[in-house]
Amino acid sequence: RDKAEPGSMGRHSRKERYTMRPGRGKGPASCRWPAPSQSVLVGNSCTAGYTGERQRREAAQVLRKTGQRPPGSGPPAERSPCRGQVCTSDLRIPLMWKDTEDFKTEGDLHHRAVFLLLQTGECTQDTETILADRTLTAVSFHNNVLFAEAGPDSELRLELYGACVEEEGALAGAPKRLATKLSSCLGCSSGRRVQASLETARGSGSSPILLPTAAAGGPRYHRLAHTTLTLAAVQDGSHTLDLTVTSHEDPAWLPLDGSVCCCLVAQPFCVAQPTAGGTLGAQQAGELQDWVRARGVLKGTNRFCYHQPEDTDTGEEPLFTVVINKETQVRAGELDQAVGRPFTLGISNHWGALQSWTEALRQLFFDMSQWKQCRDEIMKIETPAPRKPLQVLAKQGSWYHEMVTAIEPLDDITAVTDSLAQREGTRLETPPACPAWPLLACFSGPNPSPAPFPVLEEMPNGLPGCCPPRPLPWGFSLSCPSPRPKRCPQSRGLCSKGPPHTWLQSPV
Amino acid sequence: MALSLPSRLRLLQGTQTTHLLSIPTHPQLAFYLCQQRVEIHKLRQGENLILGFSIGGGIDQDPSQNPFSEDKTDKGIYVTRVSEGGPAEIAGLQIGDKIMQVNGWDMTMVTHDQARKRLTKRSEEVVRLLVTRQSLQKAVQQSMLS
Repeated sequence: RDKAEPGSMGRHSRKERYTMRPGRGKGPASCRWPAPSQSVLVGNSCTAGYTGERQRREAAQVLRKTGQRPPGSGPPAERSPCRGQVCTSDLRIPLMWKDTEDFKTEGDLHHRAVFLLLQTGECTQDTETILADRTLTAVSFHNNVLFAEAGPDSELRLELYGACVEEEGALAGAPKRLATKLSSCLGCSSGRRVQASLETARGSGSSPILLPTAAAGGPRYHRLAHTTLTLAAVQDGSHTLDLTVTSHEDPAWLPLDGSVCCCLVAQPFCVAQPTAGGTLGAQQAGELQDWVRARGVLKGTNRFCYHQPEDTDTGEEPLFTVVINKETQVRAGELDQAVGRPFTLGISNHWGALQSWTEALRQLFFDMSQWKQCRDEIMKIETPAPRKPLQVLAKQGSWYHEMVTAIEPLDDITAVTDSLAQREGTRLETPPACPAWPLLACFSGPNPSPAPFPVLEEMPNGLPGCCPPRPLPWGFSLSCPSPRPKRCPQSRGLCSKGPPHTWLQSPV
Repeated sequence: MALSLPSRLRLLQGTQTTHLLSIPTHPQLAFYLCQQRVEIHKLRQGENLILGFSIGGGIDQDPSQNPFSEDKTDKGIYVTRVSEGGPAEIAGLQIGDKIMQVNGWDMTMVTHDQARKRLTKRSEEVVRLLVTRQSLQKAVQQSMLS
């Protein structure tokens, strides 16, 4: 590296110019930042990460990265996107009963006990066990399955297991419930064992048995079908996916029609929770006033809120809000260059804090690009109801209980969902008074809107005046951003199971 | 579904086809027979193809607020308004009709938005609705009692 020139930050090469332009630099997400050496002001503290230990760990990781390499030189491929919650609900598998000839076994009373096993890379969860017989047109699992942590590249594998049950009353061998949580991340050694046996079972054949040893009298569960869900399957509302039916000759055979309906929602942490905060100086351009000390909070899905320092935790409306979206550009620039601009974010002099802010913003941009459609709106995740024990199946200490010695209690899930429910209450709702103003509209002069909107902006040649809008170099095309259309409350009902309150009328 | 009817009276009014049974044998049968087929030719208004009526209801809606249904738990799709002189009125659709099918697609177990989408497909210029009408049902029920 070249020697540091006076006034610049030592780590940076002279060759690295931090300007935000599309198409320059290597890689799809090269994000070049303005040279911090141009006397910028950096806030005196920046606390990255707010809630939760994991968030703190991630934030610490971010700050460590900051110290280790200069900004703009690391491609986002080295970044890891933030995690999020993933929840499936309204799982439903249609059955197509035709004639009694469909049943292979004579005298088969057609009762099956079925459940779904859902696995991400780290966690395995199951649904409740449903008794299916000829009177059911579909097997419906009513409880939501929540994965507290998953990444945008996680694959959710869904497997349907079924077992014959002889008659409805005599289910002495059936386990009350299978796995609550077989998660290696909890360090459950028996969970890992079961996980390993599941892996073997999956790889070995078309209808593997769930667990290798079955005690006498217990029903043998066979894998009947499977499918894999990815981020692409996350969308508003329920939809139908293909289900690969693996067993056709099984004793536990069910007439599956090869589809499964489900509603898959994801809530990235970067969207639902604040990811960074700190004290900033903010100045409204056009008025040569002193810098106002304010508390900035970086919170996903396009918010960079300024509060009065004391208002951060009281839930007060922010002083003003900056929208972070595809068209956002970030610059740290000279104060006097800001004359004539609607607003400039200046971050004062300390290198470390500037880095933290810019790093937090970069991580947010990266997270947003990874989570794709999940970032646009905060998807509602309904906390799963506590499991009721299946009354029909007899209680007993089955072979399953022998296998899994340390079953995580339900409290674990409850603790997670409780804290989530608390966070939901403190989440800042979209303020109707703050439309998603396109930042680019602020280029041409003082913002005509009544509330001042701070702008994070770029000046490519250092010249004041208008510059044409430039897109972020993430492959997003430049388009005139329009305020997000208001969505009627009903169509946002994702996992919400509350009774509907509206009776909408629509012209056609 | 195949129904064996002792006798059948068929009325044609404009583009409607109404089936009236003179001797209904069963209340359920009577219900199924009170269905009307309405064929609406969409009208082009600028870029849009409109039908000229409004719908209410859906499985994601609160059925108790439906002013047209007799059963307040009915989450079906109802016609809440018919534009005067519009394609729907010309075809004989009436306010309060419950839409059972649109071009063969079931409309009794759909969300409000799904219903709207099934009616407003750009590729379809004609929609054939199967509707039930209270007035017709009542007429049949009356004839059953007498």
